[in-house]
Amino acid sequence: MGLIADDAWEAVDEGWCTSVNADQVRAHIDPIRHEYAEARSLILPALKFAQTEKGHLTREDLEAVGEATGFSAAYVESVASFYDRLYLAPTGTRVVSVCVTLSCMLRGADEVWDHLCEREGVSHHGGTSEDGRITIQEAQCLGYCDRAPCLQVDAEETKGPFTPASAGAFVDALRAAPDPHEFWR
Amino acid sequence: MADYAPVDRAADNMVTFELNGRTVSAPAGTILADAAYAAGVEIPIFCYEPRLGPPIGACRMCLVEIEGMRGMQTACSTPVTQDMVVRTNSPAAKDAQDGVLELLLAQHPLDCPVCDKGGECPLQDRTFKFGPGKSRFIEPKRHFPKPIELSSRIALDRERCISCFRCVRFSQDVAQDGQLTMQERGARSEITTFTGDAYEARFSGNITDICPVGALTSIPYRFVARPWDITNTPSVCGSCPVGCNTELTTRDGELKRITGRDTPNFAVEEGWLCDKGRWGYDVAMSPSRLTTPIVREAVGDRSVSIEDGVAAAASLLTGRRVGILLGGTATLEEAGIALDLAANGTLANAVLARLGVASGNCAPLRAVTGAQLGDIDAADLVVIVGGDPAAQQPIVELRVRKARRFGARVISCGARPHALESLGEFTRTAPGRLGDAIAGLGDAIAQASRPVILWDEADLASDPGAIEALSGLLAASPHATQLMLGADVNGAGLSALGVPTTGLYEAIAADEIDALMCVHADPLEAAGSVAWQTALDGFGGSVIAIATYASTMTERADLVLPALAMWEQEGTLVSMTNRAQRLRPGAAGPAQAAAGWEILIAIAHHLGHPPAYRTAASAFGHTVASHPAFRGVTPDLIGTDGAVVGAWPTADTHPAAIVADADHLVLVATRDAFGDDMTARSHALRTAVSAPVLRMHPATAQALWLNDHDRAVLVSDAGNSTALSVRCDTRVAEGVIVGPLGAPGHPIEGALARNQHQALVRVERA
Amino acid sequence: MPILNSVYRHREAGHVLTDLAAYRAAGGFAAIEQSIGEMEPDDLLYVFHRSGLRGRGGAGFPMGRKASFLPKDAKLAKYVVCNADESEPGTFKDREIIEMNPFQLIEGMVLAGYAIGADRGYIYIRGEYEHQARVLDAALIAAREAGFLGDKILRSDFSYDITLYRGAGAYICGEETGLLESLEGKRGQPRLKPPFPAVAGLYSSPTLINNVETLSALPPIVTQGADWYAALGPEKSPGTKIFSISGHVVRPGNYEVVLGETTLRELIYEHAGGLREGRQVKAVWVGGSSVPVLGAAHLDTPLDYESLNAAGTFLGSGGCIVMDDSGCIVRATLRLASFYRHESCGKCTPCREGTNWMERILQRMVDGDGRMEDLELLESLFGRISGKVLCALADGAVAPVASAIKMFREDFVAAVTNGGTPRPAPMPVVEVR
Repeated sequence: MGLIADDAWEAVDEGWCTSVNADQVRAHIDPIRHEYAEARSLILPALKFAQTEKGHLTREDLEAVGEATGFSAAYVESVASFYDRLYLAPTGTRVVSVCVTLSCMLRGADEVWDHLCEREGVSHHGGTSEDGRITIQEAQCLGYCDRAPCLQVDAEETKGPFTPASAGAFVDALRAAPDPHEFWR
Repeated sequence: MADYAPVDRAADNMVTFELNGRTVSAPAGTILADAAYAAGVEIPIFCYEPRLGPPIGACRMCLVEIEGMRGMQTACSTPVTQDMVVRTNSPAAKDAQDGVLELLLAQHPLDCPVCDKGGECPLQDRTFKFGPGKSRFIEPKRHFPKPIELSSRIALDRERCISCFRCVRFSQDVAQDGQLTMQERGARSEITTFTGDAYEARFSGNITDICPVGALTSIPYRFVARPWDITNTPSVCGSCPVGCNTELTTRDGELKRITGRDTPNFAVEEGWLCDKGRWGYDVAMSPSRLTTPIVREAVGDRSVSIEDGVAAAASLLTGRRVGILLGGTATLEEAGIALDLAANGTLANAVLARLGVASGNCAPLRAVTGAQLGDIDAADLVVIVGGDPAAQQPIVELRVRKARRFGARVISCGARPHALESLGEFTRTAPGRLGDAIAGLGDAIAQASRPVILWDEADLASDPGAIEALSGLLAASPHATQLMLGADVNGAGLSALGVPTTGLYEAIAADEIDALMCVHADPLEAAGSVAWQTALDGFGGSVIAIATYASTMTERADLVLPALAMWEQEGTLVSMTNRAQRLRPGAAGPAQAAAGWEILIAIAHHLGHPPAYRTAASAFGHTVASHPAFRGVTPDLIGTDGAVVGAWPTADTHPAAIVADADHLVLVATRDAFGDDMTARSHALRTAVSAPVLRMHPATAQALWLNDHDRAVLVSDAGNSTALSVRCDTRVAEGVIVGPLGAPGHPIEGALARNQHQALVRVERA
Repeated sequence: MPILNSVYRHREAGHVLTDLAAYRAAGGFAAIEQSIGEMEPDDLLYVFHRSGLRGRGGAGFPMGRKASFLPKDAKLAKYVVCNADESEPGTFKDREIIEMNPFQLIEGMVLAGYAIGADRGYIYIRGEYEHQARVLDAALIAAREAGFLGDKILRSDFSYDITLYRGAGAYICGEETGLLESLEGKRGQPRLKPPFPAVAGLYSSPTLINNVETLSALPPIVTQGADWYAALGPEKSPGTKIFSISGHVVRPGNYEVVLGETTLRELIYEHAGGLREGRQVKAVWVGGSSVPVLGAAHLDTPLDYESLNAAGTFLGSGGCIVMDDSGCIVRATLRLASFYRHESCGKCTPCREGTNWMERILQRMVDGDGRMEDLELLESLFGRISGKVLCALADGAVAPVASAIKMFREDFVAAVTNGGTPRPAPMPVVEVR
């Protein structure tokens, strides 16, 4: 689950985005079924696929994954809620993860975090900007300690090192860039 | 509730090991926590519950020192070995126990004064025995909105939860309803359903028994009583033919709660209950409960005292040709006394009969070695012939799912779809053709080592071909055991006493009866209701109804005598597995009501023939124990765990087979445990009620010009049903209609012949 | 990248080997050609064992011995699982191997699969490494096309393929049984051991599960020989290790060294460019963060399993985080405690409650609400958590906290008496993105 305070979600407009249905999920997982001795393994790839539709998972997405994999929606939700990069509530269009673990902290991650939170108008717990474009969230060690402090946009290649100013500029550019077609978080 | 598994101290393969300096023994491979408990040493546990499957070692409460093993081991996952040296009370072990409790209590709210679990709470008990006296945790504790309604019957208090996973494992692994899960991670973990949904499942109540804290509590029991105010009485449930063992909680003479037994009966229900058996008792306090005798006269109805009522009954019966009709829930004592009064001249030549499935031709199946429900656990093949056990005998579902979890193969065959079919292979058969599918089971049964064959009494009673096929198969398979999925609560008991299903109706129709006494029987709501209605319309004699709840029959009766409910009386019931079990009273009941057996004895007194027996136990001894089926059986022998009784003699005529033809469909009735009067009248079970519908294949519906949700009436030679809503279901065999037996308003009984649960019908749009 | 007698072909070659032809040219796939169909699987297992290769994920268990625990029954389904969940703070060595040398990992997995008679291999990669996962996707396709994966590899009887499985953000899925649970489609909560994965692992089948760096070491062990590998470094710590170093150093990065031949001081000052002018080493978490912290007094410890054990810590993942005297050990320890609390799976009591409690206490200390008795309280909690838990996460949570309080007690006392600790200035970045 993302580390987003509840009040941040009000800023996001669900708009026209739809959920996936069971047939779409099946189309994605049927080709790889033979790679797993048990169908339950398909739940995680199915969830990640369903999430690419709009960047988070709705009730309907979870039901569709359950139907396609043969498990209850409750079970699927339970699995999804365990992981940081599966979102059961809406996020901004782009999710910016700021690593705050020790190596990045020693090189200024906290200053980058504070600056980005202030710029985006969210609390120090992180959150989504009012225009719904950017979600700022804390991340645990992203494995880019050689480029500390680092940021990751969605599931793109992590970048760094950043200063507060360069991070601000980076997010500005991100905001202005066109939306992705698929949302890999 | 069970916590530790029982240990057989007399097994062959015992090992000895050292426990806190003492030498103790247990069978090889016994889990250390269980072996220690059996030897009188409590190793504290929380997440360990052997009935839920292999241990998970999550709570860490049972850490002990074992010599030669590095670090500490969880006793719940360690089997005992010869010469093992175990210390559960060393300084290290005590510190570990203290530590786990301190960590659990760190986030646990100080709710004891307002928590229903207080006084019977494993967390409290273990904290006293093994835990710290003071808390060192000064941080703010985590908070959740509390309590929330997990369902209309269960309250969830997430702050109290200690994440032992028992409830989740029950839902996912035992009941396999897939609804209850853990969400989030770490210290934010919380028990939940699919967000926003209620936990609606037929066995949901068991999580309130196994929760070791007050996180999951019964809403009907909320703030009702404290453990030191109550007495607990072991009894059995009389709601379905399974006969789960229960524990009745009584306060001030009132039944306040029903739970599973602290010591589960592994031969029957394994400590689990279905929600109906757990919470349905509030029907005894519902408006339909009869509280005083009612005398019906031309001028109106009069309430009288029970003494006056009994006297009135005697005067209605004196010198008459009496007929006594017993319902499926009548106890052995009631039947035995009725038989005795007929035989000894008190009610000279009284004609006795019972309402129930005429299954005398199933006798050859009953003659084969019978299994108890517990024997399903060890089966490597479970065959389900006909029936719908999940609906009609709920606890069977848990047993079969358990066998499947342990690798058993499950094969089903029958006309109606049911929940357990998905556990294995199934063959859909047309009614009357069940024998063909049974014949195909030969190979599977031969290949299995411990096959158990569950067969539905009502279905096979209408299918002599199936009975022949199955008894032939059983005869050829001496390693197989059979288990009857019974149709009536005490059907096995009443037929063992030789009470037939026929004879009385015929006598009434032939004007040979001039006083009818119904004991827990309502023929106007049973199969063949139309025929009974006609017979009673033309009946000029008196009708006495001994009943607990108002019904069509109590309205028709000239005299109503209120009987105690099953939770209020002594009595013996024989389960569908031939297990005689005792009902014990857990409540006083209305002042002007009396147990059915008491009423019969009192009537006998008023008729001038006081019997030699005055109590239920002595009535049993005088009237029941002399029957061949009950030789050697005494109430003491039955005790709290029950006793398996002997072979069951034949007492019935054989109804004709029901086979579909071109002009008719076959109505197959299912008695959904959660679709009957009791569930409908119970306030606690209000969200668990199944709606009564007619299920048929879409092709069948189409041929009848019916759509989903249209209303239809069934027409048969026995009579008409009332209108019911149609549901299309591709899993139902073509030419079959599945209808609800016992549904409130009793819509389909009119289309069934007496004592049969299948009929040839035509369908008309309503 | 400093090149030494490297075990990793991309380092030896001095350039990225994401192209299959380039990997071949650098000596790749020779190990597969030498062994599949040419050697007995048991003999190959013996080569692994003889090399003395120890697991590079953190536990350091001898790889050959672990593989020998799998039952030999050919009728059983068996699996090789590669733990690419790299999430240990300070660790980014597997990232390099996957990004720059994916075929060596693939080749290593094929060798491991052949040695144990596996049906299939799985690479479980952390969800955040999506970029690296795509590199692996492409490499797997190329390897299949070239016949090194799939049916009857190199016309032998051995059929084997590899599935890449993406995680979704949970450190605990780097714990071997947590990984297996996640791969099975469940919540990634570790299992009771025994049974161990070698006997009952993925789908209850015998499973060999090893780290990226470990499996990637197998091809050169086969081509250059077990003895070559065993001769690198001390007897009980043979081979090389890629140390990731970061924090207050001038040149953070991955550096491969022969175990035992480099001290911590050399790693920091010669490889990683040392500290800023005028700064001294205050604390070093040498094996990722789940190990006891070291101080300046330990700088001359050789980097190998035994020497680090003797110094009171563990080699662990080799993810080395350096903090100089500008940093605050109390805040650093709190930051790590937060990490463990966030990542605790919640299954077992001491970890779920203990990591939370430790973080709360340290937070109060940093905020100025600490009490002297908090130090005794923490010390009493360590023993109630460490060694009492279902998996090693909580042991890893306790290690840096307990060791920091022991080594730097005066700093923690100061936090209590001074009403908190100020946030120190970070070390500025040199080249900015």
